[in-house]
Amino acid sequence: MLPSELLTVWKRKGNISPRYARATEDSLQVANSLIKAYKDHVGQKKSVLKAFASELEDEGYEYRFVRGLACLLDRKSTFKCNDRIDPVELRRRIFRATRELGLATTPEKRKRIIAAIAQDLKITSDTVEEFLYADLDSELILEEFEPPAPEELLKEYNLSLTQTLLFDSTELNFTASGNWQRIFYAVKRLGLIYDVQKDGRFWVKIDGPASLFKLTRRYGTATAKLLPTIIANQEWTVEAKILWRYTNEICNFKLESWKHRSMLKSLQEPKISYDSAVEQDFAEQFQSLKTGWQLKREPEPVPAGKQVIIPDFSLEKQGVRVYVEIVGFWTAEYLLRKIEKLKKVDVNMLVAVNENLACEKLDRLEKEAQLNIIYYHDKIPLAPVLRYLEGAFQNVQASQTELLKNLRVIFTEPVVDYGEFAARIGVSTEAVKEALTEKPPEGYTAMSESLVRRDKLEQIRNKIEEQLNPTGRLPLSEAIRIVESEGVADATKSLETLGYRINWHGINAEKAEVAKP
Amino acid sequence: MIYLRFDKGTILLRGEVGTPYGKWDPRVDCYRIKAMHYSEVLDYLKESKLAFQDDVPNLPPVQQLNSNVELRPYQNEALDRWHQANMRGILVLPTAAGKTYVALKAIGQLKTQTLIIVPTLDLIDQWRKRVADHLKTDAGAVGGGENTVKMITVSTYDSAYLQAETLGNRFMLMIFDEVHHLASPSYMQIAEMYIAPYRMGLTATYERSDERHSLLPRLVGDPVYTVDVEELAGEHLSPYTYEKMFVDLTPKEQRAYDDEMATFRLYLKEKGIVLRSPEDFHRFIMTTGRDRRAREALLARNRALKIALNSDAKLGLLAQQLDANEKEKTLIFTLHNDLVYTISRRFLIPAITYQTPKEERREILENFRNGQYKAIVTSQVLDEGVDVPDASAGYILSGTGSTREYIQRLGRILRKVEGKRAKLVEIVSRETVEVEMSRRRRYKKPAED
Repeated sequence: MLPSELLTVWKRKGNISPRYARATEDSLQVANSLIKAYKDHVGQKKSVLKAFASELEDEGYEYRFVRGLACLLDRKSTFKCNDRIDPVELRRRIFRATRELGLATTPEKRKRIIAAIAQDLKITSDTVEEFLYADLDSELILEEFEPPAPEELLKEYNLSLTQTLLFDSTELNFTASGNWQRIFYAVKRLGLIYDVQKDGRFWVKIDGPASLFKLTRRYGTATAKLLPTIIANQEWTVEAKILWRYTNEICNFKLESWKHRSMLKSLQEPKISYDSAVEQDFAEQFQSLKTGWQLKREPEPVPAGKQVIIPDFSLEKQGVRVYVEIVGFWTAEYLLRKIEKLKKVDVNMLVAVNENLACEKLDRLEKEAQLNIIYYHDKIPLAPVLRYLEGAFQNVQASQTELLKNLRVIFTEPVVDYGEFAARIGVSTEAVKEALTEKPPEGYTAMSESLVRRDKLEQIRNKIEEQLNPTGRLPLSEAIRIVESEGVADATKSLETLGYRINWHGINAEKAEVAKP
Repeated sequence: MIYLRFDKGTILLRGEVGTPYGKWDPRVDCYRIKAMHYSEVLDYLKESKLAFQDDVPNLPPVQQLNSNVELRPYQNEALDRWHQANMRGILVLPTAAGKTYVALKAIGQLKTQTLIIVPTLDLIDQWRKRVADHLKTDAGAVGGGENTVKMITVSTYDSAYLQAETLGNRFMLMIFDEVHHLASPSYMQIAEMYIAPYRMGLTATYERSDERHSLLPRLVGDPVYTVDVEELAGEHLSPYTYEKMFVDLTPKEQRAYDDEMATFRLYLKEKGIVLRSPEDFHRFIMTTGRDRRAREALLARNRALKIALNSDAKLGLLAQQLDANEKEKTLIFTLHNDLVYTISRRFLIPAITYQTPKEERREILENFRNGQYKAIVTSQVLDEGVDVPDASAGYILSGTGSTREYIQRLGRILRKVEGKRAKLVEIVSRETVEVEMSRRRRYKKPAED
């Protein structure tokens, strides 16, 4: 972030954007000469360095750009006061001396005072002069400097410029591809309020408590601090309303990852890091079991009324999703709030609670909650988790089956694959299979993997009939090829449905034959 | 049942009832109310005979106060008017008229949790000392690295603004020292985000040239008492003399000044720009962000002004004055820090600027008060509030054209001490733009009358 007087913008037709520094030859040259200047001035006074930097402004570069870069370089520098003599103590002695000797209203008087002090301290008068105000900012010595790469400096400048523009923001809307837990944690820590909307993408609006009463820049600084967390993602879109301080008009500002990501300094997209060893252990143990459930860390938030729930994990199998939240330290109030939130949303959530850290008796809670709590000590026991998953799967499946039975779907395709259909309407394959086999739609026959239309079956029968040898037999492998070429997966079941018998000669499938009954 | 709760500088009202003050907040599904309406909301709920639970205040424990404040007649009158206005309102009293004592008396009477808000860190120290001396209790402080909340707490405007989310429900009385600061767009949120029903504003200079003081009555209360310097001079304030002294720029300075001003004027002439009002000037400054030549013209003008304000000739005259008035306790004011340090180095006078380390600053002021040091040179940081009762001479080497700054600087030497005759001297570079600046600061603009 930069001092606001160094912000430069483009403003047109109600839109506003910082004047980003692109990695052009010119910009890189400014960055390079400044970095070199800082390197060359290690061991020298800040005022000398600054004089050099201001020469670049005189060479025709935009002064706010030059100063902005210098401002960032200052933060990579260590300025120190030469500590051989303490200037504060030196001044104290001199000012005290003027009580006896009078103010230094003539050069002679001044010389006398300085000489007296120098003698006291056993140093020269010149040293007194040198150290009198050696602790002033401009007199500090550049002690250390960590040079950045010029391209990186420009990216950092662009990020700082964006944040400086956001100081004047009254609200911010964004969507991002992940990192949610960290984002919402930051929102909370910064005292901001969010409002979520899901229309295809998940949009979050950010402002603060007092934004309700009037347009205010009060939350601009906090909003600017939130930005790096949002853009640490691969993909994002950020839109802000800027109350432009010089004209008091509202301008729109838009930032998009595909366009701006390469120009802005970004914190490394954080590797999935676990809040605790318990979480990590759970994830690893669970994944090693190969249960068919897909484990995902930090899934997209679940809107719950005006708020969101950001579970630690989601576990997904055939359209059935279960969230897992691992609670370390907790209180009854915390869990009750969680229950309140969960009531607003129809999801399966399993809460693992550390029994050692339980602050209150759990009985009350268990009665009150339809919350699914499992307890753990050092690590989360997998058996109750799997039992819960199995139960959830069956429940979901049962209710989905119920739903499907009552659902009047009219199929037109010759072959309806259960898995494909289930994915299309977001239920489990098992539920689809169960519902459709029990009551196949008119004109269809239910196979083990799919529904097949009668005329399709007839078509298959005709093809097989053509190929039958005079004794009415056909090698099984040939029959399967015919069935599958018609787009039907479960060939043997189809053959049986059509009334063919399969004659096995030993266990060798190549010798098996299909025969007319 | 209705529940009231403090939420980051606002009040949340949960329950099936609206009030004339609240607004429905769909983000959290309940009513949200500005903290400043706290007592009005309570009154409304009580009058409507509605049952409610109030969890808003979070007040620090009450401490024993022993007030020994004696007020002068005009101070008593000011305090009475404030009480008559339901303990809300602004008192306009000249610097050195003892505004602090009126506030201390009020705190002693109300005996409630109080936040005193001041513009500078020096003033935090000063108020804490006054509270200790006159109310016999330790005050907490928020700002300048400290963060202790007590029954009586002193804070800077900056900290009170930044921490409104957490401090807003901790006090019932607020004292705004130098209340004209409160009218700025960000600071006015302090008034809005705190629940304190009782509020007192203190200032010597109520009007602001940007007219924003008209916002203050809504936030603090009306100006309920006003008294002028003239009414108090002599009896309650020290009598004082004012003198303006002119110097000629040195020949070298004069040449440089003329060159720079010529560059500036040439540009204005070429572009046909006429600068008559501050607004004209502001508009011109806006163009300098885009137009390189405009910026060069502005920089030339600034350099010229700097030559006039910081002329070496002024230092020669100052040396004579210091020699001739050896016994006076002297404050020297400048506009720029560079000049502060030039003077400090040349005459070996202690300097106070925003760069002065906090401890050294305390020590310099203490030594100045007890007579160890005879003079201090400062830029704008000592303009407000800090008391040095027996400072008797003030030299304005440079300043802005602001009337407020002038009145405040004058106020530094006016505190009444028996037998003291104060003297304020302005040193101005002849035939430069500074002459007009100096004229402006001593005469109010008609708009402010």
